[in-house]
Formats: sequence, C-alpha cells, structure tokens
Amino acid sequence: MGDLNGLLSTVGAGSVDAAGGGAGPWWAVLVPLLPLLSAVLCGVCAAAKVKSKLPAWITVGCLAGSFVTAVMMFMSIQGHGALTTTAFEWINFNWTAPGGEAQSFIANFGLRLDNLTGLWMLFVTGLATLIALYASEYMSHDVGKGYSRFFFAFSLFVFAMACLVMADNLILLYLGWEGVGLCSYLLIGYFYTKPSAVAAAKKAFIVNRIGDLFLALGIMLCYVHFGSVEYAVIFEKTAPYLAMLQEGRIGDIPALVQLIPALLMIGAFGKSAQLPLYVWLPDAMEGPTPVSALIHAATMVTAGVFLIARTYPLFLVSEYALPVVAWIGALTALLAATIGMAQFDIKRIMAYSTVSQLGYMFCGLAVLSATGGVFHVVTHAFFKALLFLCCGAVMHGFAGQLDLRKLSGVMSMKGWGIVGVGMLVGCLNLAGFPFTAGYFSKDMILAESFVTPGMAPIGWILLLTAGLTAYYTFRVFFRVFVGPQHAEPGEEFHAEDPAHGADVAEEEHFAEEARHAHGHSARGHDGHPHGDHAHGNHGHFHPHAPGWAINTVLAILAVGSLLAAGLYFMGDHGGFVGSKLHGTTAEIVTTAEGHTAAAYLGNEPHAGEHSFLGLGDPHKVMYYVSAVVGFIGIAIAAVLHGPKGLGGLMLGSRTEAARSKADNLLPAMGPIAKWAQHKWYVDEFYDLVIYRPLRGISHVFRLIDQFVVDGFVALAGWLPRAIGRSVRPLQNGELHGYAVGMAGGIAVLLLIVLLAVS
Amino acid sequence: MNTMTDLTHLLAQTGFPDSMGSATLAHYLFVSAAMFAIGLIGFVSRRNLIIMFLCTELMFQAAGIALIAFGRFHLDFTGQTFVIFVLTVAAAEAAMALALVVLLFRRKESLDAGEWAELKG
Amino acid sequence: MLSSLVLIPLIGAAALIGAPAARARTIALLTTFIALAAAIVAGVRFDWADGATFQFATPGFEWLGELGIRLSMGVDSVAMLLVLLTALLGPICVAASFTAINERLKTYYGWLLVLQAAMTGVFVSRDLIFFYICFEFTLVPMYILISLYGSTNRKKAATRFFLYTFTGSVIALAGLVYVAWHAARATGAWTFDIATLEQYAAGLPASTQAVVLLALLLGFAVKVPLFPVHTWLPLAHTEAPTAGSVVLAGVLLKLGTYGIYRFVLPFTPAAVNEYAQLIAVLCIIGILYGGLICWVQKDVKKLVAYSSVAHLGFCVLGLFALNNIGVTGSILYMINHGLSTGALFLLIGMIYERYHTRSMDELGGLGKRMPIWTTFMVFFAMASVGLPGLNGFVSEIMCLVGAFQASSAWGSGIWGSLGVETPLATPGNLGPWYAAVAGIGMIIAAMYLLYMVGNVCFGPLKEPGGHGHGDHGHGGHGHDDHAKDAAHGPLPRDLNAREIAVLAPLAVLCIALGVYPSPVIQTLQAPVSRTVQIVEAASMPTTARTDTQTNPQTNTNSDTQTVDVVAEAAR
Repeated sequence: MGDLNGLLSTVGAGSVDAAGGGAGPWWAVLVPLLPLLSAVLCGVCAAAKVKSKLPAWITVGCLAGSFVTAVMMFMSIQGHGALTTTAFEWINFNWTAPGGEAQSFIANFGLRLDNLTGLWMLFVTGLATLIALYASEYMSHDVGKGYSRFFFAFSLFVFAMACLVMADNLILLYLGWEGVGLCSYLLIGYFYTKPSAVAAAKKAFIVNRIGDLFLALGIMLCYVHFGSVEYAVIFEKTAPYLAMLQEGRIGDIPALVQLIPALLMIGAFGKSAQLPLYVWLPDAMEGPTPVSALIHAATMVTAGVFLIARTYPLFLVSEYALPVVAWIGALTALLAATIGMAQFDIKRIMAYSTVSQLGYMFCGLAVLSATGGVFHVVTHAFFKALLFLCCGAVMHGFAGQLDLRKLSGVMSMKGWGIVGVGMLVGCLNLAGFPFTAGYFSKDMILAESFVTPGMAPIGWILLLTAGLTAYYTFRVFFRVFVGPQHAEPGEEFHAEDPAHGADVAEEEHFAEEARHAHGHSARGHDGHPHGDHAHGNHGHFHPHAPGWAINTVLAILAVGSLLAAGLYFMGDHGGFVGSKLHGTTAEIVTTAEGHTAAAYLGNEPHAGEHSFLGLGDPHKVMYYVSAVVGFIGIAIAAVLHGPKGLGGLMLGSRTEAARSKADNLLPAMGPIAKWAQHKWYVDEFYDLVIYRPLRGISHVFRLIDQFVVDGFVALAGWLPRAIGRSVRPLQNGELHGYAVGMAGGIAVLLLIVLLAVS
Repeated sequence: MNTMTDLTHLLAQTGFPDSMGSATLAHYLFVSAAMFAIGLIGFVSRRNLIIMFLCTELMFQAAGIALIAFGRFHLDFTGQTFVIFVLTVAAAEAAMALALVVLLFRRKESLDAGEWAELKG
Repeated sequence: MLSSLVLIPLIGAAALIGAPAARARTIALLTTFIALAAAIVAGVRFDWADGATFQFATPGFEWLGELGIRLSMGVDSVAMLLVLLTALLGPICVAASFTAINERLKTYYGWLLVLQAAMTGVFVSRDLIFFYICFEFTLVPMYILISLYGSTNRKKAATRFFLYTFTGSVIALAGLVYVAWHAARATGAWTFDIATLEQYAAGLPASTQAVVLLALLLGFAVKVPLFPVHTWLPLAHTEAPTAGSVVLAGVLLKLGTYGIYRFVLPFTPAAVNEYAQLIAVLCIIGILYGGLICWVQKDVKKLVAYSSVAHLGFCVLGLFALNNIGVTGSILYMINHGLSTGALFLLIGMIYERYHTRSMDELGGLGKRMPIWTTFMVFFAMASVGLPGLNGFVSEIMCLVGAFQASSAWGSGIWGSLGVETPLATPGNLGPWYAAVAGIGMIIAAMYLLYMVGNVCFGPLKEPGGHGHGDHGHGGHGHDDHAKDAAHGPLPRDLNAREIAVLAPLAVLCIALGVYPSPVIQTLQAPVSRTVQIVEAASMPTTARTDTQTNPQTNTNSDTQTVDVVAEAAR
C-alpha cells in the first residue's frame, strides 16, 4: 500500500484544499475560450464557404494554444491546492426567502483549477490538437463541404469538454456534459445522408439524456442538501461526514447523502457507456474516425470517470455507491470484452474495447484506487486514440474497409510501416504487455481490487477480462497487420441514396455528393477522380497510404504511449498521477489503519495481511500474474489468428486473409459465438422492451387525444346543437301553428291563474 | 264546466252602478269574451289572409269593449282614452296590413297563409 | 410611455386602411419597428433594479367611473420583459409574411398590428377590466388571421380556437368579477384596480378562494394550455399562417401563464397551496403525454404544436412550485419558449412556402438542399431541447429545481425517514418525485425533436413530387439550377437574406439568454419574491412551520384589516 498511504489526516487538510482558496490566473479561461474562438471562426468559414483547409489550421492553432495554456496552468497551480477563476456570472442570483433568510443559487462560469482538472485538460487538449492535425488530412475529401462543419463541431467539443472538466460547479459541469453530448451528436451524424449514422447520432444523444436526467436530479439533490452547486461549498460541507467516517460513526451520516452518488453514478454510466446504457457507444462508430478516437475513446467517454473522481468524497461517505460502481464496471468490462471477441469490424472491436476499459476505470475508482483509475484514463486516452487513428488510417486507405476478414498483411505494404508500428504499440498497451503504460495502470487497479475488502470477485473478473482483452486485441493485429498481403476495398463506392432512384442523371449527381459525404471517396485513392465508382470491379485497387499529417500524429502518439509508462515511476504517491492527485478531491482517502470508505468500513483487514492466493502482497504479485494472463491471451490469438512463418516467431498457420484456425473452433462453441457476435441481443432486447412499447403507447396517446380528449370537446360542442335540432320542428313557419301555440299558451296560463286563485 | 260557473259566480259577486240599467258588467265582458273567442277561432281556422286579418281586428275590438266596460265600472276614464288610442292605431295598422296583404297576394297570386312559411327552422 | 406602445400599432393599423395595398408591407414593417424602438426606449428607461415596482404607472382616464374602471397602466419587470418579447416578435412576424401572404394584404397586416396592440395591452394594464378587454380582444384578430389565411382546415380551427378560449376566459372573468364584487361589498365602492384587489383577495376565506381558483384556472389553463383542455392548440397552430403560429406560440400562450402568475397566485394564495399538487400532476401529464404524442406525429408543424403542450407544462410546473427558483424559471420559460418555438414555427413556415407540405413522409434529408435552414433548425431544436448554453436550459432546470426543492415532504415521508438536513427545501407541495417524473420530459423532448430533425434535415433526400426536381435531365450541375427552375415562386432553395434576418435576432437572443441570463434573473427576483411571499404567507396556518411567525396581515380571518388596507389604497 506504500503508494496509497499517507493521505489519512488529510481529510481535513484535503478539504481545505478542496474548498478552494485563492483566485486562479485569469488566463486559465483561455483553455476553454480558445477552442470556442476556433469554433466561431470555423462557423464563419462555413458561412463564407471557405474552400481550403483553413478551418483545420485554425482549429489546430487554437487547440495548440489551448494546450500550451493548459500546460502553463498546470505548472502555475502546483502547490496551490485548488484555485478558482471566475469568468463571469452565469446563473447567479439571490433572494430573500419568505422565512427571512437569504438564499442564493450560484452557478458561475467559473473554473476550478486543481491537479485533477489540470491533468485532464493536459491530455484532452493535447490529444485534441494531435487528432485535429490528423483530421486535417483524414477529412480532406470534404474540403469546402463539410470540412468547416467538422472542425466547428470538433472545436466546440473541446470547449464543452473544457467546461465539463474545469467547471467549479455542477451546473457548469452539466453544461459541458450536455455540450459534449451535442457535439457527439453532430459528429456521429456527420455523414448525415446515411440513415445509420443519423440513427446512431440520435441514439447516442437520447441514451445520454437518460443518464443526464439522473445527473440533473443528483445535482438538484446536492443543491437542496448542501445549499449550493459549487464544489467548494459541497466539499466543505462533506468534510464533517468524512470526519464521521474516520471516527467510525457511519450511522450519523444522513442517508439522503447516499442518494446523491447513486444519482450521479447513473449519469456517469450514461456518458461513459456502462451497463445498462452502453449501447450507444458501438453505434457511435458511424462518425468519422478522428471523432471516434477523440470523443468516443479518449476524452468524452471518460467524463463519467471524471465526475466520480471529482465528487469522490460524496462516494466515499456512501455505503453502497462504490461497490455498485465496481460491480457495474466489472460486469461491463467482461460483457464488452466478450462481444469484442466476436466482432469483425475492427472499429467496433475498438469501441467495445473502450467500453470494457471504461469498466476498468470505474473499478479503479470503486476499489479505492483513484490513482489507478485516473492513471488508466490517461494511458488509455493515449493508446486508444492511437489504436483508433491506426484503424482510421486503414479505413481511409482502403476505402472504408473495416472487416478484419478482408484485410491482411497491411504492415508490410509500402507506406504503412508507421501505421503498423503504431498499431503494435497500441495493442501491446491495451493487452497489458509488461512495461507498457497500459500494463502499469491496469495493474494498479487489479492489485487494489484484491486488497480492498470484499472486492476480490471484482479482481477475478477483471483478471479474466484482461486475458480476453489481450486475445481480441491481438486477434485484430494478427489478422490485419501481419500475414499474407491482401486487401479488398470497402463499400465507400456504394452510393446509398434512395432519393435518386428515378433518374439516372440525378443518380450521378447524388452519387458524387454521397461519396463526398462519406468522406472517403474513391477519388484520389484509385486514380480515377470521376465516375469510376462502379460496383464490384476492384481488380486494380491500390490502397492510399497515409500522408505526413497522419504519420506524424501516429508517431507522436506511439512514442507518447510508450513514454507514458514512465509516469508510473515519477513522484511519491502512485507515480506521477498519484502524486498529482494528492490533495485533490479524487485522492485516496486512506488511513494507516485501513480504508475509510463507508462501504468498506465494516470489514477492514490490516495493511499487509491480505495476499493473493497466498503468494504475497497483491501489489507485487499482480505484476507477474497480469503479465502471465496477458501472455496467455496473446498466445491464444497467435495460435488462432497468427500467420505462418515470420521467422518462427509466430505460432499460427494462417495463410489467407479470410480464414483462420478460429473458424474451425466456432462449431464447437455452439450458439455462444453467434450470440456474442450479435452483441448478446441487447439492442434487440431494448428495442422489444422499451422502444416498441413506448412507440405503441405514443400511438395510443395520439388516438386518445384525437378521439377521447378532443371527443369530449366535440361532444360539448355537439350537445347544444343536438338540443336545437330536436326542438327545431316546432318552428314550422306556419302562421296558424304559431297562433295555436299562442292561444294554447294563453289558455294554459289562464288555467294556472284561475286554479291558483281558487 | 266548473271553471265557467266559478267565473259567472265571481262576476255576479261584483256590484253594478244603477246607471248601467239592466246590463251588468258581466254582460259586456261576455260580449267581449265571445268576440275575442270568435276572432281567435277564426284566426286559427281560416287560411285566407284577409279573413285572418279581420279576425285580429275582431279580437282588438273585443279587448276594447272590455276596457271600456271596466273603465266605466271603475269610473276611470283611462280605459276609454286608451281605446281611442287603440282605434287610431288600429286604423293605421289596418291600412298597413291591407297593403301588405295586397303585396303578398301579388307575389304568389294567392291569399292562402300557408303559402308563407319561410321562417321554418 | 406605455400607452404609446399600445397606440403605435393601432395607428399603424389605421394608416393601413387608407393606404394602397402595395404599401401594406412597408407600413406594417415600419410600424412594428417604431413599436419595437419605443419598447426598447421603455426598456432602457426602466429601472431594472427595482423590478417589483410598477413603473411608468399612469392612472389612465376614468372609463366607467361608477364601477371604478380605469384604463390604468404600469409594468413591473415581468411585464416589461413580456412587452419587449411582444415588440420583438412584431417585425419578425411581419417580415416572415412577405412572401407567404399575397392577397388581402391590408386586412392581414392590419389585424396583425391590432393583435400586437391587444397583446401589449394585456401586459401593461393595471386594471382588471382593461386587462380582460385586451385579453379577449386578442381572439378577434387571431380568429381572422386563422380563418382567412390559414391552410385547408382553417375554418374549423378558427372556430374551435375562438369558442374554446372564449368559453374559458368568460369563466375567468366571472372569477375576477367575483373577487371585485367581494371587495366592493366590503368597502362599499367598486374598484378593478389590480393592486387593490390583490391585497383584498388574499384575505378571502379558503373556500371562496378555491372557487375563484377554479374559475380563473379554467380560463387561463385553456389559454396555456394545460393537459385536458389543450386540444384547440394543435389544430389552431397547424392551420394558422406562419406569423399566426409564431404569435400564438410566442405570446398568446403566455397570456395564460402570465394570467396565472398575475392573478391566480396572488388572488388565491391559500387555494393555490392546497391545489398545487393537482395542477402539477396535470402539468406532468401534459409534459409526458404531449411529448409522446409529438414523437409519433407525421406533420412537422403539429409536432411543434404539441411540443408547446409539453413545454408549457414545465412552465406551469415551475409556477406552482411556489418558490423563487421555480417561479423565476417559469417566467424565463415564457420568454424562452416564445423565442425558440417561435423560431421553429418560422422555420417550418419557410419549408412550407417552398414545398407546400409539412409531412415527414414527403420531406427528408433537406440538409443537403438547405444547409443554412438546417443549421438554424438544429440550433433552435437544441434550444428547445434545453441544451445548456442556450436559453431553454436555464429556465427548464430552474423550473425543475424549483419543483424539486419545494416540498413539505422534506423532513417527512420517505425523505424525512432518511433523516436529512435540507437547508434549501422550501415549503410547497411538490417535491422530488414531481421533478423526477417531469424530468423524463427532458428525455422525451430529445426524442421527438431529434426525431424531427433526423427525419427532415438528415437522412436520404426526400422531396415532394413536382418540387425541386425541375431539371433532372441536366444532372449534377449544382444547386442553383434547381432554384431557378423549380416552382418555388420567388424563393431561392435555401434561405434568403430576409429570412436569415428574421431568424438571426432570435438566435442571438437564444444564445444571450443561455449564456448570460443573470441580469434577467436578478431583475425578476423582486417581483417574484413578492408573489412568493404572498403565497407562502397564506400557507402558514396549514403547514407546520412553527419556527416562523405567521404574518398577521394575511391571516385568514383578517377581513377587517384587509378592508382597511383596501380603503386606504382607494383613497
């Protein structure tokens, strides 16, 4: 526990820090504002119909500026605890309550600058800059069309993400939270003529909104209970609870406080694609690959992890929150890994891998290894971005081909070296190969799972998942990047636009537009800029090797991913990340006696007592165990999918692209493989249980509104009319009729009078 | 007929001034009522516009007789003054009504009131 | 000052009578611009720091002296904001009708101006009868606009609209007069001065208040419209001409919520406390039910019309949270809904002018054809969804927070059993469950608006036959050919400068109110606090808040005191 100790009595001190003392540097607002400026300029470009790569350079420039500012900010806040920079008052008002006391609702556009924020902004802005550079080339087919739109949404995303991370209150976090959701929506639906992309975008937004609702309710509960949505106040008022926790007076902590993390958690699960709300993320791969890399792998999806890290004190004082997070995270990790093993679309495999790794991060936080969780966020951001960008380069070069059965030996093709090496580095990281960054960060989580009381099952699930991860990761690598050279171009030539069916000329027109919209048209790839997008004949297909921008970015990320391992050895408390998190809200609140999280208070073993299968301290043993598990996974992948030869290194026997030994195993697995390939039918289940009934109810409501509710109104209008109609025959227009009526009436009146008199 | 005997009984109870001679108020009122009834029956049963008009005149005068009789009985001349007014108005009205009847006749070449039922709802 | 705001459109309308039809557009636009300028001048001169005071107050001339009816005016910050909204929508509505309306121009613009005058009159009046006259008079121009310039089913829609809302507001009038009669009986002199009646009405016994509440609510709820009495709205919205829909959504619906804020809350505080839950349930039904109906609409305009039912549910929910945050959010919601939904109607009108259809079966993938239009569409849809950073979010979250924290349940029931300290729980009868269930409306809003955007803007291109396909034969020559040849009349395929100019101010305001709503919220605090205090004071005897002293002035049996107050005010 060495690296995790020593934070005990910092509960008090930590919350003083957390309360946020001084004012931060004013220029910290540039971190969010530069991307916003970039978004505005890109919007201007779109309005001015700029037909060059100008928007990309604006974006890269502004994001680089933002990155530099973030670095400066990170340096300047060292040793200051939490600083606050308020840009302007957003929602800020106070009033006198009827009882006489003054009340207020304050959600300023204020930034909370501490190491957690700084760390997050470093990799967000850094990666965003690199990926923008990558996208400048990747999106080049759309120059003059969707190019400005792409970079507008891209910049806006970075702005929203900065708001989310740097906010000093929960409402501003919520702004960022929904803002990134919007940008995700816009970017997933970037190829808006494609129905599947539009549907995926919609799904992502709506599923996220479900999480958002719970987040909003959690914020409201915070407001009602703490009287503020500002972190400073919330943490200050949580401090007494933490003190109670330390003294073991857990029963004194109000139970309602425990409801807050439960609500926040669901919000986090929505944004970070955990059970049961993970279904949107794989579909989100409909977006352009740079988007998948930045938003749906590296940054946005870690927002949930950030939320929990940010409000960690609230989770610590809850008896149930952290174990629930752990179980959800572990089950998601396992489920997503099993699905990932059976997919053929390499981008989708990476998507499920992201879901799975996010599960790890949640587990890391939940087993009191906030350092491990956050460290895994950072390392994952790098290597997953790298993996996605490599997949994107493949997709870009092979006209949208993503099926691992149709590609082989890419690494040995001319001009694809950097992509192949990058992919290898990424895969090693993801598989947890010894001495890679992913290895260390995963280890911290695994080890701590076996240390934390009652969390051993989580550790076993994660360990199993680690093996599966290594397998599916190298399945991709062995199938696509090594082996005999083979490549079939993708379906980017297909112009799937039903609107043009009627007219050939129109079809031509639309086909061209559609190719542009898809972003990876054949133009420039196969040397036939116009027209030659006939279906099927790809005899002379030449892949389009990546250019300098893509290669540079891949190289930087590959080196970065490798170097990230070095972070583990920096600093005193759990490496660089741990030492930086020290003093922030996400610090591991431990005491010399053991953990002080409400959930684990009851059965705390003494430090050093726990051991992994009798082999010793999990912190040490896990280095070897996880390495072995990783090796086993890689070895199985090599046997089943590895190519023949390669200097005897390879165990496999694959000689063609499409078939491997794994195919022979499939019949033995029965329907399981098929189920996994169909993602365990979760989407179908949701469709059947939620979507269809809701749709049906809506139709019923529509009919009710039309016939019942409106029917009553119609009835009210019909009633007087009906009465009128029923007495209408009396008005026959005959003079005699009226005369008789009058005479009769007089007679009746007379009779009444006479009877009354007598 | 119970009601009718009640009515005569009621009228018989009322006193008569001497100057009225043998004719009592009841006699006048009976004449008035009879005239009114004749007019009413005629109005309802006949379809000729002119006859119907004459019937209304009959009812008018019946009311006038009743008014004069009461006026004399109560020695209050308001009733008689009123009748004089009614007479003048009735004269004017008769002129108007006859003119209208002539116009209506010109429209349809018929004096049948049943021809005119345009207020039918 | 204020009377000029009412008179300018009327003068403009009068000028239209004599003017040639060709000049009608110019005159109408000029008039609305002058009115807007006047409103802005009023807004600048308004002392926003003192929002609770009715400023620019004029006693007005005595109209029916015996009954104490005067045409008195005055605005607090709530009314001032709504006046500004009305004035802003004026030129927008006129400019949006330039190409849409091509016959009987003088009648059209004349009634549009009269409508504006009537709506402004509602907000500036300080006399009950004056208020009611303006309130009712909005029906006449709207009836004419719908029945003469609407689409196919316009006659039915106009009649339904008129009779429905008219019936409701007559009942509301009965309620208002009942209050005035009570006051007159107590003081011996009739008055319809709102401030005087307000002071009096709060002291009425709870049973009387309940009757008044029922009457007022029947009238205003129809106008809002709340759940069971909303069916006139989709019909009227769908059939009305674009400008009519914009005014309808932008201001006319707000007359209902404004009426609730101005009369229901202060006139019947005790009854409001008692029945808040019931009304909130109706709001929530409206939010969910209306939202789900939106989700299965084929007609885009009907979808947006039903979305008003859902949105106004949030608005009224905030009002009946009976605390500062909720009521402030609700007032903000009135303005924000006017901006974003008004803009959505404008956008749909622009599509209708081009394609003469609003059915999602016939339209699709317009993002390719009309990128500018699509940009605006996505923008305003997001504003309507309540995306943070845009206007809708601020008001929506405030309404929900208001409902969430307003709970006498805090400290009892499930919340109490958790043994919690909730410093910011306010009395009121709603609570977390209300906010949570209403919050589902946020998800549904995303569902139906994205369903609309996804179908109309995105996906494969779909255009109704005979439109936009005029020159298939040429093939792929770019878009301009289409615009020239197609049967769109004078309109280009994407938006022209005029249409952009119509939308841009709304977009700017959406951003401004989303990013920097603080000044508006702050100026609303004073009047809202006043209202909330009235309502809160009335709840004192019933709720168990022993720590606070009951306010003697609004004790239930303080008739004599209130009479004194009224007499004093009358002097």
